[in-house]
Amino acid sequence: MLDAAISGLGHVFEFYNFLSLFIGVVMGILFGALPGLTATMGLALLVPFTFTMSPASGLIMLAGIYVGSMYGDAIPATLINTPGTPAAIATTFDGFPLAQKGMAQHALVTAAVASSFGSLLANIVLAFAAPPLAEASLKFGPSEYFWLGVFGLTIIATLSSGFIFKGLLGGAMGLILSTVGMSPLGGDVRLTFGFPELQAGIDLIVALIGFFCLPEILTSIVGQRRRSYTSRQVNPSLKVIGEVIRDLFRQPVLMLRSSFIGTIIGFAPGAGGNIASMVSYNEAVRWDKHPEEYGKGTIKGVAASEAANSAMAPGSLIPLLTLGIPGSPPAAVILGALMLHGMRPGAELFSAYADVTYAFIMGLLVAAFLVTLIGTFGSFVFSRIINIPARFLAPVVVFMTILGSYAIRNNVLDVWIMLVFGIIGLVSNKLKFHPATIVLGLILGPFVEEGLVQSILAGKAAGSVIRYMTLQPISMVLIAMSLMSALWPLYASWREKKRNPARGAREK
Amino acid sequence: MSMLNADLIIGIFAWVVGGVVFVTTRELSPLGGMFVNYVLVAIFFLGALMLLKGFIKPEKIQFFESAGERRNIIIGVVMLVVYLYFMPKAGFLPTSYIFYMAFNMFLAEAPWARKSILQSAALSAVVVTFFYMVFHYGLGVPLPAGAWWE
Repeated sequence: MLDAAISGLGHVFEFYNFLSLFIGVVMGILFGALPGLTATMGLALLVPFTFTMSPASGLIMLAGIYVGSMYGDAIPATLINTPGTPAAIATTFDGFPLAQKGMAQHALVTAAVASSFGSLLANIVLAFAAPPLAEASLKFGPSEYFWLGVFGLTIIATLSSGFIFKGLLGGAMGLILSTVGMSPLGGDVRLTFGFPELQAGIDLIVALIGFFCLPEILTSIVGQRRRSYTSRQVNPSLKVIGEVIRDLFRQPVLMLRSSFIGTIIGFAPGAGGNIASMVSYNEAVRWDKHPEEYGKGTIKGVAASEAANSAMAPGSLIPLLTLGIPGSPPAAVILGALMLHGMRPGAELFSAYADVTYAFIMGLLVAAFLVTLIGTFGSFVFSRIINIPARFLAPVVVFMTILGSYAIRNNVLDVWIMLVFGIIGLVSNKLKFHPATIVLGLILGPFVEEGLVQSILAGKAAGSVIRYMTLQPISMVLIAMSLMSALWPLYASWREKKRNPARGAREK
Repeated sequence: MSMLNADLIIGIFAWVVGGVVFVTTRELSPLGGMFVNYVLVAIFFLGALMLLKGFIKPEKIQFFESAGERRNIIIGVVMLVVYLYFMPKAGFLPTSYIFYMAFNMFLAEAPWARKSILQSAALSAVVVTFFYMVFHYGLGVPLPAGAWWE
C-alpha cells in the first residue's frame, strides 16, 4: 500500500499532472466562489476535458477541482455573507462578522488552512482505512439516516438566539419547504401551486442566496446606505497569516474533531458537506469554553465549518472507491469519470488500477497543500474585494445572485423564489428570527422524511416500528447524541446561572 | 417609528403558512402526506406558542430604523421585481443593462449628476457584458432572449 502511495505521489509531481492539478484547484476555487456554480457543476463541466488525458492526469485534475471548490465556497461566505456552495453555510456565521470587523483576511486564511487540514486528515483515512470504513457505511439504513437528520436538527438549539421555540418553528418551516415538489415515496406532487418547475423542489442554492445574501444588501447597503460592507478597511499583511496559523495550531482538538466529523459524515452516502459543516460548528460551540464568541466573528467558527466540509470530500470518496456508492453529488460525477476511463470501483481499483487510484488519492492530498498556498496568498487579493465601496460592489453582487439563481436550472422562477426568500430573510432578520434555522430544515428535510417514512414501513414489516427505529446500535448512538445536543444549551445556561447568579438574574 | 410585536407576527405567519399547506395537501397519498402532517402539527403547535408569548411576554421590535430606510428598501425591491418581470419578455441583455445602470445610480449620492450617470452606464456595459459572455458562451447557460423579439 505504501509503495503504491509513494508511486501515486510520484505521478502527481510529474510536470503535466501537477499542472493539471494546479489548473483544477484554481478552477475549483472559482466554481466554489461563484454563487450558483457548484463543485458538482464544475466537475461535470470539466469531465469531458479529461477524456483526452490519461486516466491518472484526468483524475488528478478532478481531484483538484473537488478540493479547490471546497475552499472556494468560503470566499463569498466570508465577504458577502453568501455561501458559494451549501457546504459553506456555517462559514457565514463567523466569516462574515469577521469581514465586517475588517478581518476578512483572518477568515480567509483560516478557511484555507482549516480546509487543507481537514482534507489532509480525511485523505490519510481514505488512503489507509477505506475498506473497513466502507463496510461501516453500509450499516446505515433508513432509521440511521432519520436519526442522523434529527441530530442535524438539534443544531437549531445552538442557532436559536433567545426563545428556542422560535428556532424550532424556523426549522419546521424549512422542513415544510423541503416537501415542495415530488415526494420521495408515494410520488405525489406537493405544494407546487401549479408551477411544473417546482416539481423538482426548491433548490438549496437559490434558498441560500435568498436567505443570506439579499437581506444583507437590502438592509445595509440599499436601506441604510452604508458606504462599505465593513466597519474597517481590510489591510492584508503577512503578519495575519502567521497569527492565524499560530492560533489554529493552538486549537488541535477543534481541528481534529471537525475533520473527523467531516470524514465520518462524508462516508455516509447522501450526507453532504452542508450537514458536515453544521454538525461540526454545533460541536465546536458546544465544547468551547467561550461559546459566546461564536456568531460574532471568531476564527474558531470558520475553522470548524471549513475543516469539516473539506474533510467531507475525501470522506465521500471512501464508499465510492471501495463499493461504488457515491457519498455526495460530486463523488457521483467522479464515479462517472472512473467508469469512462474503464475503471470499476471495488477491490480491483486498489489492485489492478492501484497506480491510478493512489495517484488520484495523492492528488487530493497535494491539492490540499495547493489550497493552503493559493488560499493564504490569495487572501491578499480576495480580502481587498470587500474594500470596494458598497455602491460599486453591491450591484455586482445583486447581479451575481440573479445570474447564479438562474443558472442552476436555467429558470426565471428560481430567481423569483430567490427574491421571495430574500424578502422573507429580511423580515426574519428584523424580527430576530435567524433564517439559518429555516435553511437547516430545508437541507435536512428530504433526509429526515425518507428516513422516517422508510423506517415506519420497514418497522411495520418487521413487527415493531419503535424497536426498528430505536434499537439498532448506530441509531442508539445517534439518539443519545441528539438528546445530548438538544439538552446541552439548557445545561450550559443552568451551569452559567449557577456560576454567575447575577447574570442569570439579569437574563430573567 | 412604531414598535411591532415580533412574536405575534411570527405566530400569525406560521398559522397562515400552516393553513395554506393544510388545505392544499389533503389529497395526498398516505406515504406522500405522512411527513407533511407531522411537520404541520409542529408548525401549529409552535405557532400557538409564539402567539401565546406574543400576548404574555412580547418581544417588541422597530422594523425600520427610519422612514428613509423604508423608502430605500421598497424602491430596491420594486426595481428587482420590475427587472425580473421584464427579463423573460424583453430579454436578458437589454433589461440587465437598464437594471444595472439604474441600481448603480440609485446607490449613488447624487444619482442624476452627469458623472454618476456616465459612471453607471460604463459599469453597466462592462459588468453585464462580462457576465453575459462568461455564462452564455463560457458555461453554455441559455439566458432569456426575450419573448417580444421571438
